[in-house]
Amino acid sequence: MSASHKILLVDDNPLVLMTMGQALGREGFICMKADSATQAMELLEKDIPDIILSDYDMPEVNGFQFRQQLMDSKQFKHIPFMFLTSMNNAELMLEGMNMDAIDYIVKDVPIPVIVSKITNVLNTIREQHERSISELSRAAVALHLNSVPQKTPVISGFNVDFWHKPFQNYPGGDFIDFIQIDERYTFIVLGDVMGKKWGAWFFSFGFLSYVRSAVRLCIFDGDLSTKSIMQKINTVVHLDPVVSEVLSTLSLLMIDTQQLQVSYSGAGDLPLLYYNHAEAKTSRIQSAGLLLGLRTDGEYDEFVLKLNPGDQLLMLTDGLIDFEKGGRKRSDYNVFEEAVQPFLGKPDTFMQLKTSDFLIQKAQEQVDDCSLVFLQKEI
Amino acid sequence: MILKTHNTNQIAIAEILVNEANLSQADALKAEMIVLIDTHPKKILVDFNQVQYVDSTFLGAMVSSLKYAVANKTDIAVMRLPQDIHNLFTLIRLDKVFKIYADEAEALSDIN
Repeated sequence: MSASHKILLVDDNPLVLMTMGQALGREGFICMKADSATQAMELLEKDIPDIILSDYDMPEVNGFQFRQQLMDSKQFKHIPFMFLTSMNNAELMLEGMNMDAIDYIVKDVPIPVIVSKITNVLNTIREQHERSISELSRAAVALHLNSVPQKTPVISGFNVDFWHKPFQNYPGGDFIDFIQIDERYTFIVLGDVMGKKWGAWFFSFGFLSYVRSAVRLCIFDGDLSTKSIMQKINTVVHLDPVVSEVLSTLSLLMIDTQQLQVSYSGAGDLPLLYYNHAEAKTSRIQSAGLLLGLRTDGEYDEFVLKLNPGDQLLMLTDGLIDFEKGGRKRSDYNVFEEAVQPFLGKPDTFMQLKTSDFLIQKAQEQVDDCSLVFLQKEI
Repeated sequence: MILKTHNTNQIAIAEILVNEANLSQADALKAEMIVLIDTHPKKILVDFNQVQYVDSTFLGAMVSSLKYAVANKTDIAVMRLPQDIHNLFTLIRLDKVFKIYADEAEALSDIN
């Protein structure tokens, strides 16, 4: 059993709370304890457990009433729920099962039996969940729905690569695309729909479609400014009542292989990290633009940057600046910058980064969707 | 409830009660903000003093609440942002979207 499984134990008897809590704790569960339904509801507001184990017989709000409160709540009704009982009363058990409780546990059953019952329930739920995800993923593949490219483009004189890790392996809100117009121009698109899992994933296609059409339409009109492309995307997103309810960041970069330069505009995105090879110096490029669809005028600007041999650029989404230390999460761009700094300016920077402890750990932490796009002017 | 609200001079001050403001609280925030906006306060001040970490889903819910507020002719400002969160707001230009105040006194004197 994974140590990260959280159980909420609800019982008015402090002795049961203590002994069950200790026994489950020894088995690697994290136990949240409440001595009443009211206290349980307070705990639930702060943290969602993987499963709830609740006594039937409690003063004030009894187990059935507590279960009813949970079933009435959109947020809590899907948390797996089991009744704990000291009574072996078939009628009561039936009533509990009719309230969508997954099972009941008689308190005087030996602890190993209780643990294996909980483990079985959690495993079944996990298996069902994985099946649903794999079915959805198969459907998405069949429909050619990818919010992350299958391969990196070949661009004369430049190296491009990317690293992407979705949150808890769900397809998420980050989207990446490379749009090759011709031999001269290639666009790099990196966005982050503000949400996680399927909802964000679904909307990432909406945003990606707008970005792709805006890029193509502007090119068709001979408009090669990332700023005006960004403004066009913003206008349509702002006017679209479906997509504008969700917000997204966007980093839009155009590579010009003739002028050996890039143009960049951003919408609520994190600054790019730029490594100047000749000076061996790292700096940030921070755009002024607001999140897509927030206002009619997104205040977009455009940076044009000549890239000299060995110069490197990193584009990133916010999962990469989230860190967890001592059970406390925080966001800090400086920590990201310090972590990647030693890898910059090397001939195989991105290969090294991909196998670095930093990215390996990031992939394991699973705090948020993480994406990193790397661009280098060949030496 | 993830917001604790009190009113001062038609200004609603809403304190976020969680340390980790993430995906699981984003819907609750949006729902509670809508209820608050529907009481038509002159301005809403969201207090981040207790928040240690905020994820993009929660920020999305803040921004989408702001859109609802603007449509209903009110505004949302934020105050008492811990340093990390203040930096994040600046990094992604949310400081241009939400007015940031150091504390309640500064906010109230500016608004009034």
